[in-house]
Amino acid sequence: MPDVGTSGIRRVEFVMGMPVVVDVRDELVEESDVDAVFDWLHFVDETFSTHKADSEINRLNRGELSLAAAQRDVRAVLHRCDELRSETNGFFDARFDGSTFDPSGLVKGWSVDRAAAILDGRGLRNYAVNAGGDIRLRGGALPDSRWRVGIQHPAVRDGVAAIIEGDNLAVATSGEYARGQHVLDPHTGTAPTGVLSVTITGPDLATADAYATAAFAMGAERGPHWTARLRGYEAMTILVDERVLSTPGFPRAEALPAACRA
Amino acid sequence: MHSAAPAAAATAALIVPVGNAVAATRATAAVPKKKVVVVTKTITGPEGSADRWGNIRVTLVVKKTTTTLGSKKTVKRRITNVRVPEYPNHTDRSVYINQQALPLLVEETLQLQFDMSKFQLVSGATDSSNAFASSLQSALLSAKKA
Repeated sequence: MPDVGTSGIRRVEFVMGMPVVVDVRDELVEESDVDAVFDWLHFVDETFSTHKADSEINRLNRGELSLAAAQRDVRAVLHRCDELRSETNGFFDARFDGSTFDPSGLVKGWSVDRAAAILDGRGLRNYAVNAGGDIRLRGGALPDSRWRVGIQHPAVRDGVAAIIEGDNLAVATSGEYARGQHVLDPHTGTAPTGVLSVTITGPDLATADAYATAAFAMGAERGPHWTARLRGYEAMTILVDERVLSTPGFPRAEALPAACRA
Repeated sequence: MHSAAPAAAATAALIVPVGNAVAATRATAAVPKKKVVVVTKTITGPEGSADRWGNIRVTLVVKKTTTTLGSKKTVKRRITNVRVPEYPNHTDRSVYINQQALPLLVEETLQLQFDMSKFQLVSGATDSSNAFASSLQSALLSAKKA
């Protein structure tokens, strides 16, 4: 993590099974502001983890807890999962076998969106929260007036395929290069082909993350065209032959090096 | 860190004479003079009517490369960006047509390698590999220094 600023607070903790970086550049930030964010994320982990026997999600799945008796946040997340499932024609699906819930794919982005709201509520205006590569940012990386985000190169370890720039943005990337092929087409149960990674930017991280997962699962034929129709969200898809398909509004910091021939 | 700088400078110094040598070889071979002119133009098309579906306007960024070699002139044009600042979206039907008919994706070839110091964050799929552990470690170290 280069370009370390002189003011602000930066903290990394391992939570929800991944490193989460909270980087606040406002001079007025206090340790208690960052504590509040990590307290929230640890609470989310306890509530939604599929690895913790006593989490509400596992109790729901075992039938020990009814949906009506679950916390409001749990009901809200499961409701949003259902909405996104239909928005993505079933390509984002938090249910296994039609009944068992694993909302992890939404919870990460959703909890970071709420973390951003916590920082907003404390008067902070220049921050980034990075949960395992899914990012919510606001303002700038002071003294820089904006944040610059490298998009991991899907084929080159430690390589960066693009840089995007923003002052109020969520960025989510889905790809096959990390945990092996963990995204499957829920309709066929097979791994999608032709796509190395999909990055989605927009106002809401939970939605961006679900869209990235869905577009990746759709594969090279359908995914990019589906992303071109999203309202309020931009996309960059990297194909196996290293062609890159972006929507015109994708917030790249650098000019395009090459493109389709006239 | 500082000890690496002179080594890099020495490498660069080695490259420069090689480049000059190649240029010199070309000059003595009496090849016709080669002139390359690159112009980037932004072209906004006239407002086109898509009948009752509304109006469309398309903006293209075109890179025009003119190569003159002796009396032979070649012109290459490439579209480097496509934008649709104006399009019909007043009905669901026209939105559908817009989605199907207009070039909503910009295609390029992945060939960029960026300097790691140019950005603050990296977006990528969650990784449980060694790279992930080492990146966490370095993040933690940076966090301590920050």
